[in-house]
Amino acid sequence: MAELAVDARELGKWYVVNENRFRRTLSEKLGRVLSAPFRRTARAERYASPQAIWALRHVSFQVEPGKVMGVIGRNGSGKSTLLRILARITAPTEGTVRLRGRVGALLEVGTGFHPDLSGRENILLAGTMIGMTPREVRRREDEIIAFSEVSDFIDTPVKHYSSGMFMRLAFAVAAHLEAEIMLVDEVLAVGDEAFQRKCKAKIRQTARDGRTVLFTSHDMESVRTICHSCLLLDRGKALKQGDVEECVAEYQRSQADA
Amino acid sequence: MSQSLEAYLIRPAGKQSVMDLRELWQYRHLLATLVWRTLRVRYQQTVIGVGWAVLQPMLLAFVFTIIFGRLAGIPTNGQPYPIFVLSGLLVWLFVAQSFNTASVSMVANSHLITRIYFPKVILILAALITALVDFLCALVLLALMMVWYGIAPTIGVVYFVPMLLLAMMTVFGLSLWLSALNVAYRDIGHVLPFLVQMWMFLSPVIYPSTLLPPKYSFLYALNPVVVVIDTSRWAFTGGPPPAAWMVAVSCATAAFLCVSGYWFFRRHESTFADIV
Repeated sequence: MAELAVDARELGKWYVVNENRFRRTLSEKLGRVLSAPFRRTARAERYASPQAIWALRHVSFQVEPGKVMGVIGRNGSGKSTLLRILARITAPTEGTVRLRGRVGALLEVGTGFHPDLSGRENILLAGTMIGMTPREVRRREDEIIAFSEVSDFIDTPVKHYSSGMFMRLAFAVAAHLEAEIMLVDEVLAVGDEAFQRKCKAKIRQTARDGRTVLFTSHDMESVRTICHSCLLLDRGKALKQGDVEECVAEYQRSQADA
Repeated sequence: MSQSLEAYLIRPAGKQSVMDLRELWQYRHLLATLVWRTLRVRYQQTVIGVGWAVLQPMLLAFVFTIIFGRLAGIPTNGQPYPIFVLSGLLVWLFVAQSFNTASVSMVANSHLITRIYFPKVILILAALITALVDFLCALVLLALMMVWYGIAPTIGVVYFVPMLLLAMMTVFGLSLWLSALNVAYRDIGHVLPFLVQMWMFLSPVIYPSTLLPPKYSFLYALNPVVVVIDTSRWAFTGGPPPAAWMVAVSCATAAFLCVSGYWFFRRHESTFADIV
């Protein structure tokens, strides 16, 4: 068997809600340090506090190279947290992930864009930021511009773009990133209906290119058609994983209950 | 895919290796792009563009010459005050500008930190390099002044380049500390202007370092900017060179700041995205 592209074991991510706000100032920190000898807050106790949330816990899964895994679940189930950990934006609290290959993340549109720069300059800027080399960006520039449908304004500062134009260009840059492992959030599909269809088609094509893809979507039709396996998350836990049809059915049941 | 793929291991916060130069090298394009972006944006929609990098120190030197040179009559070891102050001011502006931007670089770029992965130290390096570009442009002004006053550079020029590195190391080390602290404590942003102001008066920008009583020399040398400015004056205006032992003390300060700062920064780096 080929080596796994993604091997996640016992992933957990713990967040403290609100606490940071109260600790933002130095005086608060000093107060805590000074009073520390008089308080006994064990680590386990902190984890159990009502303001602590496990956004993800005990999640393990494997993805073989070239396979597409769907990640589904309701809002707040931990899908984004999982993808953010895999993209190395945030570190897990526990567990490990082994990744083989360059990771490309299409989680948010417009990362790295600067309003004062032209569309063409922003392609270079955003492209480099999400992990392309300048040479790759230049090679794919025409393709990106064509996809975005803003070629007439490509040398105009982005701040003069309409929001639709901006979103199209931003998606076009992100969609032309080439990495062995792609993390894709289908919420990215932006613009009017026609452009959304184009976005979804592009995402599906990425999945069919033989790359390893982790794909989140609320559209079960997309998940059914392109995923080889599936992970259903619910309140940070893996409710079901493996067979796509079973996960989708379970998800739809939970949606009907809600 | 037959070519050997790069493998990553994602682990909980605080368990990464302290030094990863290979990774930094991989992200060199990002560094270049960040520098390019800052320069491009800064001089966009300005009439004289990069001329500001020259005009700002020129106007400041003019004001300082009138106030400190003419009115206060500060001694300069016999050099004309305009070129005396400029040779220190350029170094100082470089230090202040890079320090000001690098120390808040994590917070200022939070939109990147929370959206993409990259070694965060690149933000500090980008701030340093951007300021360096401005500094090199402003050196033209100093060269013109030297021609005007008929002053030839001395052998000190050879020492000036390593001294500039010393200044960069100092700013780098300090910024590692402050930028990481600033992520959790926004107080840093409020303290910073005051800190920079104090630092300027503790450096021989508007006065010569020889004005200080010798018994304070050791404390003075703890601030590496002192020997950097003294070298600049030695190189470009023919002032006295700094004492070798003071240079050694300054190097030790800078090295300490860099090592401790880098350790502290790396220890907290992986939590930035959650806190910032």
